[in-house]
Amino acid sequence: MSMLERQPRATTPLLLDRIWQISWPLVLLLTAIAGIGFALLYSAAGGSFQPWAQKQMLRFALGLTGLILVALVDLRIWLRLAYVIYAVALVLLVAVEVRGEIGMGAQRWIDVGLLQLQPSEVMKIALVLALARYFHGLDLDDIGRPVLLIVPAALVLAPAALVLKQPDLGTALMLGACGGVMFFIAGVRMWKFAVVLAGLAAMVPVAWEFLRDYQKKRVLTFLNPEADPLGAGYHIIQSKIALGSGGLFGKGYLLGSQTHLNFLPEKQTDFIFTILAEEWGLVGGLVLLGLYMLVILYGILIALRSQNQFGRLLAMGVSSTLFLYAFINCGMVMGLLPVVGVPLALVSFGGTAMLTILFGMGLVMAVYVHRDMELNRQGEIGTD
Amino acid sequence: MSRDVPPAVTDLAACRPQMRGNAFRGGSAGGPLHAAVERGQSRLVFLAAMFSLAFLVIAGRLVDVTLMAQPAEPRAVQTPPRAVETQRADIVDRNGTLLATSLPTPSLYANPKIVPDAAEAARRLAPILVGSTEAELRERLSEDRSFVWVRRQLTPRQQHDVIRLGIPGLEFQRDERRIYPQGRLVAHVVGFSGIDQTGLQGVEKTLDGDIRGATAPVQLSIDLRVQHVLHEELRRTIKEFSAIGGAGLILDAHTSEVLALVSLPDYDANFPGTANPETLFNRVTLGVYEMGSVFKVLTAAMALDSGKVNMASGYDASRPIQVSRFSISDYKGKNRWLSLPEIIKYSSNIGAAKMALDIGIPAQRAFLDKLGFLKAPHLELPELGAPLVPNPWREINAMTIAFGHGISVTPLHVVAAEAAMVNGGIMRRPTLLKRDPAHNPGGVRVIKQRTSDDIRRLMRLVVTDGSGKKANVPGYLVGGKTGSAEKAAGRAYRRKALLSSFVGAFPMNDPQYVMLVMIDEPHGTEQSQGYATGGWVAAPVFGRVVERIAPILGVLPIDEESPQIRRDLIVQASAPGRSPNAPR
Repeated sequence: MSMLERQPRATTPLLLDRIWQISWPLVLLLTAIAGIGFALLYSAAGGSFQPWAQKQMLRFALGLTGLILVALVDLRIWLRLAYVIYAVALVLLVAVEVRGEIGMGAQRWIDVGLLQLQPSEVMKIALVLALARYFHGLDLDDIGRPVLLIVPAALVLAPAALVLKQPDLGTALMLGACGGVMFFIAGVRMWKFAVVLAGLAAMVPVAWEFLRDYQKKRVLTFLNPEADPLGAGYHIIQSKIALGSGGLFGKGYLLGSQTHLNFLPEKQTDFIFTILAEEWGLVGGLVLLGLYMLVILYGILIALRSQNQFGRLLAMGVSSTLFLYAFINCGMVMGLLPVVGVPLALVSFGGTAMLTILFGMGLVMAVYVHRDMELNRQGEIGTD
Repeated sequence: MSRDVPPAVTDLAACRPQMRGNAFRGGSAGGPLHAAVERGQSRLVFLAAMFSLAFLVIAGRLVDVTLMAQPAEPRAVQTPPRAVETQRADIVDRNGTLLATSLPTPSLYANPKIVPDAAEAARRLAPILVGSTEAELRERLSEDRSFVWVRRQLTPRQQHDVIRLGIPGLEFQRDERRIYPQGRLVAHVVGFSGIDQTGLQGVEKTLDGDIRGATAPVQLSIDLRVQHVLHEELRRTIKEFSAIGGAGLILDAHTSEVLALVSLPDYDANFPGTANPETLFNRVTLGVYEMGSVFKVLTAAMALDSGKVNMASGYDASRPIQVSRFSISDYKGKNRWLSLPEIIKYSSNIGAAKMALDIGIPAQRAFLDKLGFLKAPHLELPELGAPLVPNPWREINAMTIAFGHGISVTPLHVVAAEAAMVNGGIMRRPTLLKRDPAHNPGGVRVIKQRTSDDIRRLMRLVVTDGSGKKANVPGYLVGGKTGSAEKAAGRAYRRKALLSSFVGAFPMNDPQYVMLVMIDEPHGTEQSQGYATGGWVAAPVFGRVVERIAPILGVLPIDEESPQIRRDLIVQASAPGRSPNAPR
């Protein structure tokens, strides 16, 4: 595998080399996942490119171009921009809090003309960038010092708290989990995780009191969906019926009645997996899961292969984010996790999520392109 | 994570064993790699393993929900134990969803002999008891009796306010209010009970003995989800075709349990006062109709079961039949000999009439008697219509009955018989009560297994090649028969007033559910090219309902092109053979 052949290069590769270095199989994998998304959106609209599929395809084309451009930019530039991007995302989150669009009962969107921007999605990647930058500047001994963990902890908690206030429990949990993964990769000691987890567990009863009624209901519904089959449990039960009616090979493309007949409202977004499982059955579902797994493993391999800590952390963080998207969404649709608003990455209809994921994958690609570059703690070429 | 006291950093760092220079390309150019790398490296691999594991769990769950889980009979909703004793038990559907319940409410009565000042009491009560005027109340409170009802079924708020007035002579009586959470959805099934807690309509009346004084809920065979789908699709179609009403009935083909029963227009059971005779009328069980061509399936079954006719038999349908002043002709006739499958496929009146004559009047009468068509149907509802049967039963009656005219039965009759036609030949009494799945429902054989197999093929043929194409749903092997009966008006038929119906079952390789859809006096629309017949109006409803309820009921889609299914349902529907009994 070409990825594991090493050609030591301490300098930044030339532009032409960089284009040559882009991992086209990864681009192909991403396109395959998005392609499944287009097909499902076409089906969800009852066999029409309007109102979803066409828009989604345009966004993907835009995002893919962005991905290539991001990959070609020198990794040091991303390292320098990391905090700036994080700050912008944080400002946007505050802005959405102050004067955002309210959609579906939550304040999550900012209208920026071209698309409805959802800063919480942007934050998922910005946080990875900022944490990668921070931990890149520390060596293992520093990481052992709890004082130096205050800053990254704040980097995670500030946006998580803002997002929780929107309210968006799913994204807040995702930010927290993603932060945890970054801490883990950076080498924070296990007992510190144990302390934090124990603390969180102790806080659960307190936090429960602070959850909104609908959030409590979702958790209770998750534990027993049949308790309120026409109310809070409706979505998950209908979703399970749709999945169950698909069988091994599904009902055939465009023939899923459960999803087409509006049993599942908002089927084009978070519950799009049900269309896949109903129309393509178990086989279709497994193919999509397999594609995700390939992309994620690819990302982890890139992380392993990176010669600099920033790249390693960045690739791993983005891969983990993608994993969380796929895992939480699938788990929720299949009744393994409570219903929280997490889209199915690259497949669900939604602009911000698609663009941020492609931006993130562009960063992973940039790590791959610059895999042999060695960076010192200041972010300059060379070693400490 | 930052709560612990920071140790003296420099000392600690000095004490720590050197971790630099590790296996990860340690020797190569680039200098010594950071110790964090090694730990990070193994942690990366660890995470990769964890992620893979998580995906395996998801994949396992996917296998579980797509292949293992059968959504057919969901876990019963846990009805919390009744805290209060009420006079009437709850009524629930087959999954435990509440259809009727009782709510204890106080009722206000007065002893006018004790009330000190009727005028003053009325003045103060009127604002609380919205809906009663001061004058009314004054009159009631001044009556020369020692007991008058002031208002039945107060809200807790009203009770509180009345108590606060502190008027002597006003007393509360424990009362109950019957609540129907589903409103009009199951009105024709559940019915309603009166203010004195006696059932007046529907199951509330027929099962009054079981409901009154009981604590355990009465469980019906209705599946509210299926009921909703049928109700919604019928309503939509009635509106679309500007029809005056409609009826729908879904039966379990093997147990004859009623899963859904809809009669439109309907009423809200919570406000029976707003119902009128038109909305109270149950078209499924009380209305008797000349059902039209859907009867041809029964005629074919009778003929095939007699052994005198087989699937290759043919009848001369080239000319209308003249019987005294009547003439029997075909709608869009082929004007040639037709084989038995063709008679069903093209819905030939002439063919059906000749088939019935072949079998004979006594046999036809006996057959319909066996199917229960000569008496009122059985169901746990008070509203059951007695059929209109010709007397005397002459040749002309035999011929018209063969294609569903000259005999009026309820849709319930037809569906119950249809279940026996497709389930292997066993007729069972339809019921609104959930049957114990372990208990064998019994039943009587009315046709042979072989005849039932032929009928399944014929009904499938109507949907694949005949008038019922619009009922087809890929994967669910719908079969059935269309009917477009002209409604009788006095002694003649009104050509423009149709009763468009579709009676069928699915999936035809092993029918699980039998369903009837009937639309009363539809008017053709632009989409239906002006047609208002069963094939254009009722068949599409049938298809849409099947498409929606099959996943709920756990009927899995089938590969229609598989050799086994094709072999099972194949019909030779072209070359008409010659019936040994048919006149040359």
